[in-house]
Amino acid sequence: MRRLLLIGALTALALPAPAFAHATLQSTTPHFGHELVNSPPLIRLHFDQRVKILPGAIEVLNTHGRNFAGPARTSGTDVIASVKKLPTGAYTVRWRAISADSHVVSGVWTFGVRVPAPSVNDAYGAGGPTVAEHLVRWVWFLSLAFAIGVLGLRLICLRGVPVQRALDRRLAVAAGIGVVVSLQAGIAAFSLRAEDALQLPFGRFLYGDLTPMAVTRFGRAFIVMTLGFALVLALIYLAWLLDRTVFLVPAFVLSLLFVSGFSLSGHDAVDPGSSWKSELADWVHISAASLWVGGLGALVALVWYGAPDLRRVAFRRFSQLATVSIALVLAAGIYLSIVRLPHLHDLWTVDYGQVLLVKIGLVLAVLAWGGFHKFVVAPALERSNSAGFLTRIGRSLAGESLLGAAVLLAAAILTDSRPPAPPVKAPPVAAARR
Amino acid sequence: MQPHAEMVHWMFATGLLVLGLCLLAEAIVGQEVWRARRWRAYLWPGLAFTMGVLMWPVMTFFTNSAIHMYAHGSWAEVLMLAGGAELGLVHGRLKSRWWRLTMPLAFAVTGTAFIVHEQNAWFFQRSAFLHHLLGWTFLLAAVIPLGLVFRPRSAALQASFALVFVVVATMLYCDRDLAPVFGHLSPLAGVPHR
Repeated sequence: MRRLLLIGALTALALPAPAFAHATLQSTTPHFGHELVNSPPLIRLHFDQRVKILPGAIEVLNTHGRNFAGPARTSGTDVIASVKKLPTGAYTVRWRAISADSHVVSGVWTFGVRVPAPSVNDAYGAGGPTVAEHLVRWVWFLSLAFAIGVLGLRLICLRGVPVQRALDRRLAVAAGIGVVVSLQAGIAAFSLRAEDALQLPFGRFLYGDLTPMAVTRFGRAFIVMTLGFALVLALIYLAWLLDRTVFLVPAFVLSLLFVSGFSLSGHDAVDPGSSWKSELADWVHISAASLWVGGLGALVALVWYGAPDLRRVAFRRFSQLATVSIALVLAAGIYLSIVRLPHLHDLWTVDYGQVLLVKIGLVLAVLAWGGFHKFVVAPALERSNSAGFLTRIGRSLAGESLLGAAVLLAAAILTDSRPPAPPVKAPPVAAARR
Repeated sequence: MQPHAEMVHWMFATGLLVLGLCLLAEAIVGQEVWRARRWRAYLWPGLAFTMGVLMWPVMTFFTNSAIHMYAHGSWAEVLMLAGGAELGLVHGRLKSRWWRLTMPLAFAVTGTAFIVHEQNAWFFQRSAFLHHLLGWTFLLAAVIPLGLVFRPRSAALQASFALVFVVVATMLYCDRDLAPVFGHLSPLAGVPHR
């Protein structure tokens, strides 16, 4: 039976031909994301090989789902469809073709006629973020926060303190694991976003063209962050291999730099009213929150239970770092809330505001817990040597870090939500009369 | 501005060729002579790790299908893992010989990814043929680094291990975007170029 299974598996691997054949889209007319002055007379897809067409091979859909494309035909390695005259508006092109040996390849892109093209993530038919997307983004946030927190803990809180090599290596391994998980989460987040835009089941999605997604702001952020954190991983690895903490310095700086990808692709980069100030505030918010929540997790997991002799100094110094981080988180967060929510009642009347309220509630709870640690536990820690007391503090810190993780979950859902549109300014009276 | 896919193949072919030649030299002269200069011990594992890092740009810039992205991502990760583990062993940071299992794992993952990500048949065109051949070469050759885990001083296994990289590099050099293979070219593949 085992032999039969083995032979079957090998045969399936050796003979993929009948099931697979794949054409690659090389260019389109009009191009991805272009704003056109006039309605295009036709849609042209240029492939690297001949394809066969299906009924409805090309659809040009307006925001209500009305199709303006005529029947498609092939011309060499091109697929062409005529298009009815398009009124001003945003359009989504969905295409599918049968490649060699009957495999269906698919794709989507957007363009605008006398209006800017919408992001391909907002293509007609896209359903928006799902629970899976929220969870993946949460894991992405958590893993990056942990990596940044570990690096911050080592370089800021344990600076100048004699640290055992074993702990140094554990810190490097922990930071490396955080980066590896973040790379996987980034790939998963990009795939889920692309799957939603393409509106394909997983089997067909594997052969879907992701290029239009790669040129969106989110796609570019994904590319830059993936490349940046691959480099960070290499630096952390060198620190571990050579026992040189100095490699962690560029790793930390690059981590803080590349985490800005979230800001450059988030609301603060694309929504009306956004500016370099809101992007900067968002970056400060994310970086400081990562340092705070991730550092707390690292303090508990690696120092409190891994290096008892460093507990006091690490706790005292982290408390100072957390105070600065929290001040930055709050200042940037309040500024961003004012920018994103033009009216106070938006907090309870729109979805975005409601999620923000939950997040604010969680942040207040973590702040209260952190305040208890800073103002009650820290002085007591200097005086007490009781083992039971130290164990209870460890549990309490673990609880605070779990609540911090919950804050990041709220942040992940918030990132996937859309803030309310700012109020439209009324035209000047004179201009209106004219 | 992206380089053509075949040029990226050639860049990695050069890396694999250098890696294979280092391993071959070590197999011929013996580990003691090869490692008389300390830095030589780090040469091929360091190269493998660096190629893993350099594979990430390939993953992110070649997104014409999701499965291509996943294949390149898996190569980046296993190259970094296997190269990193070998560097750790050479440097003395890692002690257990079981870390050498990362190399056969890397071969198995690489081979599977080659076969799965190539959607065309063997004789569709040259690169399709080579992708299948590369996949099967890696899958079957995974027994060589597996053997080295248990018999690390076997000269035959060391030489075979080195030659696998030389053969793989040669295959990658033969790779072209669109060209016939043994006179076969699917009419669906388009016009040969370059």
